Amino acid sequence: MSTDEIRANVKRSIAKITSISFDEIPDHASYKDDLQLDSLTILEIAVDAEYQFQVKLSDDDLGEIRTVDDTVRMVQQYLTPVAA
Amino acid sequence: MDRRIVITGIGVVTPIGIGCEQFWTNLLEGRSGIAPVKTFDTSAYNVHRGAEVKEFDAEEYVLNLDAAHLGRASQFAIAAARLALADAGVEIGSLDRKRAGVSMGTTSGEPREVERFDDAYVSKNLDRIGPEFIQLYPCHVIAAHVASELNFAGVNTMIPTACAAGNYAIAHALDVMRAGRADLMLAGGSDAFSRITFTGFARLGAVAPEICQPFDRFRKGMIPGEGAGVLVLEPFDRARRRGARIYAEVGGYGLSCDAHHMTAAHPEGAGAERAMRHALADSCTNPEDVSYISAHGTGTPTNDRLETIAVKRLFKDEAYRIPISSIKSMIGHTMGAASAIEAAVCALAVFSNRVPPTMNLNEPDPECDLDYVANTARELPVNVAMNNAYAFGGNNASLILRKGELLN
Amino acid sequence: MIGNRVVITGAGVVSPLGDSPAHLHDSLCRGISAIKPIKLFSTAGLGCPLGGEISDFDATKYLGQRNLRPLDRTSRLVASAAQLALDNAGWSIEMRNDQEVGLVLGTMFCSVHTISEFDRRALEAGPAYASPMDFSNTVINAAAGQTAIVHNLREVNTTISTGVTSGLEAISYATELIRSGRARALLAGGADELCFESFYGFDRAGLLCRSDNSAGDFPIPFDRRRNGSALGEGAALLMLEDVALARARGAKILGEVVGHGSSYDCSRGRESGQSIDAIDSAVRQAMNDAFLLPHEIDCLSASANGSQTGDRHEAEGVRAALNGQTHKLPVTAIKSMLGETLGASGPMQAVALLETMCHGVLPGIPQLDEVEQDFPFEMARSENQEVDVVNGLINSIGFDGHCCSLILSRAEA
Repeated sequence: MSTDEIRANVKRSIAKITSISFDEIPDHASYKDDLQLDSLTILEIAVDAEYQFQVKLSDDDLGEIRTVDDTVRMVQQYLTPVAA
Repeated sequence: MDRRIVITGIGVVTPIGIGCEQFWTNLLEGRSGIAPVKTFDTSAYNVHRGAEVKEFDAEEYVLNLDAAHLGRASQFAIAAARLALADAGVEIGSLDRKRAGVSMGTTSGEPREVERFDDAYVSKNLDRIGPEFIQLYPCHVIAAHVASELNFAGVNTMIPTACAAGNYAIAHALDVMRAGRADLMLAGGSDAFSRITFTGFARLGAVAPEICQPFDRFRKGMIPGEGAGVLVLEPFDRARRRGARIYAEVGGYGLSCDAHHMTAAHPEGAGAERAMRHALADSCTNPEDVSYISAHGTGTPTNDRLETIAVKRLFKDEAYRIPISSIKSMIGHTMGAASAIEAAVCALAVFSNRVPPTMNLNEPDPECDLDYVANTARELPVNVAMNNAYAFGGNNASLILRKGELLN
Repeated sequence: MIGNRVVITGAGVVSPLGDSPAHLHDSLCRGISAIKPIKLFSTAGLGCPLGGEISDFDATKYLGQRNLRPLDRTSRLVASAAQLALDNAGWSIEMRNDQEVGLVLGTMFCSVHTISEFDRRALEAGPAYASPMDFSNTVINAAAGQTAIVHNLREVNTTISTGVTSGLEAISYATELIRSGRARALLAGGADELCFESFYGFDRAGLLCRSDNSAGDFPIPFDRRRNGSALGEGAALLMLEDVALARARGAKILGEVVGHGSSYDCSRGRESGQSIDAIDSAVRQAMNDAFLLPHEIDCLSASANGSQTGDRHEAEGVRAALNGQTHKLPVTAIKSMLGETLGASGPMQAVALLETMCHGVLPGIPQLDEVEQDFPFEMARSENQEVDVVNGLINSIGFDGHCCSLILSRAEA
């Protein structure tokens, strides 16, 4: 899956959870500074991303998510199969 | 009408003992009730430990109703109620049943009933769920079952204000008695170990992997638990006339609402401070009169820090004098029962002039620099004890128990 | 009654029959029934397909365009009713900066639907995928907490859960707080939502009416043909204040809470003698609290919802409490049209009663045609009645033991 596709999915999650219109979510938004989201909402977005992509982030990883880019990167990391 | 309301009986069902004596002994010795969870399979979770009640035989306490047809929280509540009444030396048959009431708190009610419903729903076997669901599930059944078991026909209230529910229920019982609407109230809280609650706190990353370490620098979170605590409340004159042992007087209380966030406390502990302030004012207590504080102290990084801030803002220099301990370090977070069990602890502290320790406090946190009675119980005169509790939804409650004029 | 006088300065209601007290009362007086085939969820396989659903409920109508995703249906109902009550009572945001307003909410389930959805997702997808936001709504005080956040209500915030009586008990609890001076201004009332989980429970317990006829035939409280209740939903909140505060700010006073009483039926509805006795006790306590005698009660808003035994117990209990003087007592039972709205029921009855006091019309009980022998209420009618109500009695009686009575008095002219 391409980075753009992952980002679009993540933004759809954000729109669903926050009611912020998809088009108003900057591609590289900071959850707290740009979207004024609290920690519970940020966690909800991260868990929804895990659910959509069927990946499981560690608690430490979850704690590091601060931006749309962080979310996309984490999903990509867990989606990419480990090289043999 | 006697406005002095006292505690004459204590009944508890806890992860470290059933009954006041066993519980108090184990508490002062610092025993832990935290162990691998047995109620359900935790292999799909990142955390696996909880504080469950061991060796509880409902048949021992449920004598009139059919224990097999009661949820676990109701069983706990009935057990704690019977233990409290026995502890108070009350002859149930001698009471005017219309003036005997029940006020209980809870977080989840009877979660296993809705979990059973969900299991059936998911496996497409909903037919398994029969007419008993509506009789056993809604949370008011806890107070209702206690009253039906004991034939108490007076005021009957359930206050499900989550992790502060016990304090709310005791506060309400105090008001009911002061208004002359009851001669005796059973007041407390009950919660059963819940898959839903465990899942939720685990998902929030709030559960510690091994132990509960309130106020420790390396604390990692709370440990979900279960249990019940019930107090017998009577008017002072009545208690004295029948020669009852009086643990403490319920001096007053304070309630507040953060109105800030559902799961996170106000960032400056403002709501917590207001509840404590109201409690002091309500009971005409000065900060320098407070001998001991039973903390909410869940062991999460945020709660313990904010609670410390709130105590310091209200008590100022006195904050450094007052011993504060969290029994959640030993029995985990028993949810709606927590502040009821902690109120029992305050009553016992006032009665015996001893306070329990905060266990597992190994490394002090510079942001939590008060006297948390680290690791060893302590003897000291306890004239006034404050019991604090904070809940999801921003519900805060503080209770004041005291010796006061009862010394005379 | 001892302590500060407690007056009502506003009301907010969200119901299938209207979202203002006037609209609700008008619908009731027109005999409009909210009971119709349920659309919110499938009733396939259930005995009763009907309920009092609020069609197309949209909380943004009351709360404006804001992110309501964190709030589930119950929380939205409560927050909406709170907005309406605050507006109706004239409590602006500026005023709330100077004087805190609190909330006492009665609810039987809060949201068992949210609790179940949270649990089921964890079961089906694994606990790692459980929704953190839904978890915060699995506590029974969630709606009260969410509403406090939406409206900045930082005074006392309590949730009362005593089944059907929850809302009336919440009003009683709030009344005592104001009487004793612990609070000065409180929103008090109740809410419950219609959802599959609770509906299933009531249906399986045989508590719901069986009607394959066109919607609106049942439930018929007090009628000999009654065969159960219908579940409904909604939220109703009263603005309660101590009279000194209300007068100081020039508030319109709609009425006064003058008495309340509670009791518990240890047989949980199974032994008529005990059930009737418990209702008698609650009504008497309310009258004693209000210093009123039976002949001073001008009407009854009954809890009766079409239950075979419940309706009869209530009639006998009230007859006993009023020393047999019920022949000339006008009686209504609005659950005939709203259905059993559980935590919202008592407060909805209070809102409707205040309108009755103002306009002098007591809604009839549609379809009421045949009553049992020796039925105490000669003035329970299918048609509306013109009434002059100074003191009105409201009952909330649970199917499993709780009894609560409230007495309201009309505002002084």
